[in-house]
Parts: sequence; C-alpha cells; structure tokens
Amino acid sequence: MASKNVNEPSKFKLFCRKNFGFLFILVWLVGFLIFRLYPFISSFVYSFSDFHLFNGIKNWGLMNYQEIFSNKKIMSSLGITFSYAFITVPLKLVFALFIAYILNYKIKGVNFFRTAYYIPSILGGSVAIAVLWKALFRDEGLINAIIRAFGGQGVNWLSDPDYALFIISLLRVWQFGSAMVLFLAALKGVPQDLYEAATIDGASKARQFFSITVPLITPVVFYNLVTQLCQAFQEFNGPYIITQGGPRGATTLFSLLIYNRAFKMNEMGMASAMAWVLFVIVMVLSLIAFLSQKFWVYYGDEK
Amino acid sequence: MRMMKKVLAGVMGMAMLASLTACGTSTANTDETTAAAGGNDAAETTAAKADETVAPASNEPVTIKISWWGGDSRHEATQNAIDAFMKKNTNITVEPNFGAWSGWEDSMSTAFYAGTAPDVNQVNWNWISNYSADGSIFLDMNKVSDTFDLTQYSQSALDQCTVAGELQAIPVSMTGRIFYWNQTTFENAGISTPTSLEELYAAGETFKTKLGDEYYPLAAGEYDRMILMVYYLESVYGKAWVENGQLNYTTEEIAKGLEFIQSLEDKHVIPTIATILGDGAESLDKNPKWMDGKYAGIFEWDSSASKFNSALNEGQTLIVGDYFKDMGEYQGGFAKVSLAFAISENTAHPTESAMLLQYLLNDPEGTAIMASERGIPLSKAALETCTSQSLLNPMVAEANGKVLDWVTFALDTQFENSKLKGNPDGVYYDVFGGLSYDEYSVEEAAQILADGVTAVLNG
Repeated sequence: MASKNVNEPSKFKLFCRKNFGFLFILVWLVGFLIFRLYPFISSFVYSFSDFHLFNGIKNWGLMNYQEIFSNKKIMSSLGITFSYAFITVPLKLVFALFIAYILNYKIKGVNFFRTAYYIPSILGGSVAIAVLWKALFRDEGLINAIIRAFGGQGVNWLSDPDYALFIISLLRVWQFGSAMVLFLAALKGVPQDLYEAATIDGASKARQFFSITVPLITPVVFYNLVTQLCQAFQEFNGPYIITQGGPRGATTLFSLLIYNRAFKMNEMGMASAMAWVLFVIVMVLSLIAFLSQKFWVYYGDEK
Repeated sequence: MRMMKKVLAGVMGMAMLASLTACGTSTANTDETTAAAGGNDAAETTAAKADETVAPASNEPVTIKISWWGGDSRHEATQNAIDAFMKKNTNITVEPNFGAWSGWEDSMSTAFYAGTAPDVNQVNWNWISNYSADGSIFLDMNKVSDTFDLTQYSQSALDQCTVAGELQAIPVSMTGRIFYWNQTTFENAGISTPTSLEELYAAGETFKTKLGDEYYPLAAGEYDRMILMVYYLESVYGKAWVENGQLNYTTEEIAKGLEFIQSLEDKHVIPTIATILGDGAESLDKNPKWMDGKYAGIFEWDSSASKFNSALNEGQTLIVGDYFKDMGEYQGGFAKVSLAFAISENTAHPTESAMLLQYLLNDPEGTAIMASERGIPLSKAALETCTSQSLLNPMVAEANGKVLDWVTFALDTQFENSKLKGNPDGVYYDVFGGLSYDEYSVEEAAQILADGVTAVLNG
C-alpha cells in the first residue's frame, strides 16, 4: 500500500498534468475574465440601476428598459440602426462578391487590383478617411463639383436627412475588401470540372453562377453575413466623425447614443441597458441566421 | 476536467460578486455624497477638511502630471512655461497631457471618476459642480494657500469656484460672448459693421443683394443661437435666464426669443442650420466660408477670438463689435469663468502641484510666458505683468473689457449641462435644429426648451 503511494503521482500532480495546457492560454484567460466577462456581467447588473458616474446608484429596477422602449428618440435611433444594417450588409456582400468574381479571372495585374480593392478595408475605419469622406460630400466638395461639371445641381449630402444615412452607409460599403478576400478564396475552391460539365450542357454564364458558384460558396456567404451584421450594428466611427448623428438625428445610430449616455452624460446604468438591448438584437439576428442555415447553406460534407 | 469546471465556476461567481460589490461601493459613495452635500454636515466636513494639512515640498525627485485642452498657440505657451518651471525646480518633472477640446471632457470625466486624472487639470467651470459636487475630486486650494497665493484673486472670482464650501479650482479668466465682425467683407458690401440690431437686419439684405446668397453678416450654430437668444431675452425682459435654480422665463417669453432667432434666418442675417451642416466643417472657425469671409460675423467667447482671427485668410481684418443698444431696455448677456485649474484630490504631490500653478498663474516669469493664452488673467499679479510688458493680445483685451463692462447677468452652472448642450441629442440642438428645419413651430420649440431646461434643473 505504501509503495503504491510512492509510485503513483499525487492528485495535485495529476491535476497539473491534465490541465497543463491551460498555462499556455493563461494570459488570454485572465484578459478574458477581466476585460470581457467582468464588464459583460457588471454591465448587465448596472443595466437595472440608475448608475451615474458621479451620483452613484439611487434606484434599482427596470426603468432603463422602460425608457428605452418608450422614448421616441431612442426608438427612432434603433430604427435608423436597422435601416443602416439592412442597407449596408446586403450591398456590401453583393459588391464584394461582384468584385471577387471579376478578380477571380486570370487578368493582367490581378494581384495589384486585389491589393487595391483590399486597402479600403484597412483604412476605412480610420478617422482620416472619415474626415476625407466628409470633405468629399460637403456642399462645396468634390462630388458636388463633379455633378455641377455635368450640368447637374449639387445635393445637400450632409445636411439633408434623406441623404445623410446613405453617405454613412456608402463609407461602410466601400470597405468591402475583407469580405471580398473571403469570397475570392471560396471562388477558388469551386471545382472547375463543374463549370466544364455545365458548359458542355449549354448552361449560360449567369446560369453557372447561380446554379454552381452561389450554392458552393454559401458557407462563406453565411460567415460574411453574420460578421457583417454584427459589425453594422456596432458602427460608430462614421456617424461620429462625419455627421455627429445629424442632421436632425438622421444618422444617430444606437452606438452613438450609447456613447453619449455613457461618456457625455455619465449615465452608465442607461448606457448598459442600451448596450444589452443592442446585444440581444444582434444575438437574435445571428440566431435566425444560424437556424436558417439548413435551408440555404450547403456544406460539402453534408449527406 | 470536472475540477476545471469547478475552478471556472468559482471564478465566474467571484466576478459576479465583485460586480455586486462594486455596485455596493457606488451606493455607499452616493450616500456619503448626499450627506456631505447637505446642510450642517457639509459645513462640518468642510471644516474638518480645511484643517487638514498637505505634505511640504519634497527635495526628492518628484514627477507630476498636468492636463489641458486648447489650440496650438496655447499648447506651445504652456509647454514653454512648464520647461521654464522645471529649470527653476530641478527636482520636479512635469509631464504634460494636452489636446483639442473635441472629446476632451469625455475622457477627463472618466479619469476623474477612476481617480487616474493628472495632478493638475485645466477644468471647465461647470465641471466642479458636475464632477465634484461633494469636493471629492478636486483638492481644496485653501489647503495649499501657503504655496499658492490666493490673495491675487478677488473673493467674488474665487466664490465662483467654491462648491460644497471648498475652493476646488483657481479661475484663470472671465469670459462672455460678444460680436466680432469681418470688416473686410462689410467694406466689400459697402456698409460699416453693425452697431445696432436694425443695422444688422439691414446688413442681411445688403449682403444678399450686393455680395450674393452665400454671404451672411453673422453665422451661428445651434448652441450659439441659444446664447444669442438668452442675450436677447435678458435685454428685453431684464432678468437672468435661470435664477435660484428655476427657469425664469415663461414659454410665451421664450417663444419671443425663438421668433427673434428665426427672424435672423428669415432676413438673411444668419445661414440655416442645414447650410452650416452642408459646409461639412467641424466648427465655425474651421469652416471655409468663415475663412474666406462669406460668413462675416460671429457671436463668440472673448477668450476664443484668437482662433477665429488666425483662421481668416490673408487680407481680412476681424474687429470686436459692440453690444446692441436697441436690443432691449436692459444690458443682456452674461459672463462666466472661462476656465480654471484644479488639483486632483488624490494627488501624491499637492504642494508641488500648487507650486506649478503658482508659477503658471501668478509668477511674473510664468505669466509672461502664458500671457493671454487663456484669456485676460484674473490674477492681479499676472495682469500687472502682462500689462506692463504689453503681452496681452489687444483683441482679446478689448473684447474682454467690453464684455465685463456690459454684462450684468450671471450664468447658471447647469446652462452647459450635457443633456442641454450635447450634440446631437441635447435639448438646444433639438430645439434650434428643429426650428431651422421647420420641424417645430415656435410654440412647440418653446415648450420643448422650457421642459428640457426645467427637467435638468430639477435633476
């Protein structure tokens, strides 16, 4: 019995040996717990309070959520955020696929074009590009100068509530590079013999695209859809720098309101509640996308 | 694996407990705040705090941090003054942190809350009541009065920075809004700069017919319009906008003020909000139409005039205007502390921080370098230095003199509350934007403004 104890490793040693791998992700784990999990939980708790940075907490309850769903401005901002997401995501996906499809052909200097089209994805979220975007679309900007050169009348892009959201959306669509690269990789993976067989059968290019290309790249379409949807609902830089949410609140996306409540008004309880509403919306939409997979996403390993 | 799950569950439980504990702490702080802010308790707390002494200056190497916002010339002057201070006090290293105003308050407010703000901070006047209503964020300057010479300031100036019975900041200068005119554009229109409301109305028409639709004698954004309206109302009715924490105007009276603002738009005196937004400029001084003289006037803080003047294209002259005597029977308009300097309550080096402030705000050498970069100094010693050495910006000095000679009303600290002044969802932006875009009638806008201001005043 005694010799058994000597030869067998202790429980602690066994535990260490079994969980040795966690040591390698310890830094990430600590970061996750402090910077992700803790804010995640604490913001949920704060969302049920009137936590103000400098006045503390005086009340607990559902008042923040009640205000969100009864305040016209907040609901309007939510509507604008939905419009923004439903404009930018499909447009961006279609545009990215279109360019990827063209760049999939063996044309001269294709690598240069691939790089050139990818660059906006790297630059698009930057402050400098947002400032440039504003300069392009101001009343005396380059876009109106071109319109006027062709005899047209300048458009009040930044000051007309009907156009301002379009300008913000366009900046997002312009950053199609990352989605394009994924589509390009997917297009490369479509077997050529399928196209050859279809050509022999007399299928047109359009028919080949919709009957072969699109079904085979649906997993990437799905991935792009979910990631782009999440990003669109969290958009902040564009409206913050270009329009500051104006004119007349036409570009006041939900994230902008959250920022204002948190860092301008210091109402952390309300900001937390709004962040949670946004989280639930994105989660529900992602869930719908995941559940709908079986109807339109084709995985090669499926029977 | 089961063990690991237990560990993870434990950590998650602790995280949740920690968040609840954090909430508990906040609540406790609130209770203390409330107690401290109220009546006799506040007086006792203040008395107790005032008795506390701070550590004397150390001969050991010390590093302190200072923060401020402003334009390039202010940055340069302050950095030069800091360098000169460090040469005189070789054991003190000063680390500056500065930037533009845009977004500055957002980052500073969280730093104040987290206790990570620099030792010395340039603060806006209303920050004292917004962030340190109980005196917990900023140091009572009375505690360092051996190092910082408070006698250089009038009691009335110091009173403006006294909250919860503590002198929480040192006011640097006073400021108010006044008209500035681009004389060159007015000359191009063949008229002199306006000295009355009647002349201003006439200038609108003249600009339109002689110079073109793009030319306006005055430009005013949403917040500018609010201040201009208050100036008008105070001139007409002779009472402050807010008095004793209550809105002093009826919705009918406010409607008169809004009609006045709309009349400026209707008579081509000011561009519509849509026109200004369409210019795509971050602020009026960065607006190309201001730079080339198409917008030929502003109603601006006297301490901000320099940046508007330096933004003008070559060959244009900006002059300080006069208050309009035909606006009403009274001298409307208000002055406020333009900005102040405060020492963080949790600083480890209060005496060294006070030494730095003494150098920047009172010392002949430091104030000569700083000159009028933060307006006309309230410090008697600084004013004496700047005047004797002719260091004051003549335009700032002229404007400041006119403002302080004219205005008779005080400004309530809540006037600049984020819920009112915030862009885009502040009440001022909503009211004046909605009015300009024809979304609100004057009556509707007056009601929204009155309700919004009252809600903020009632907390």
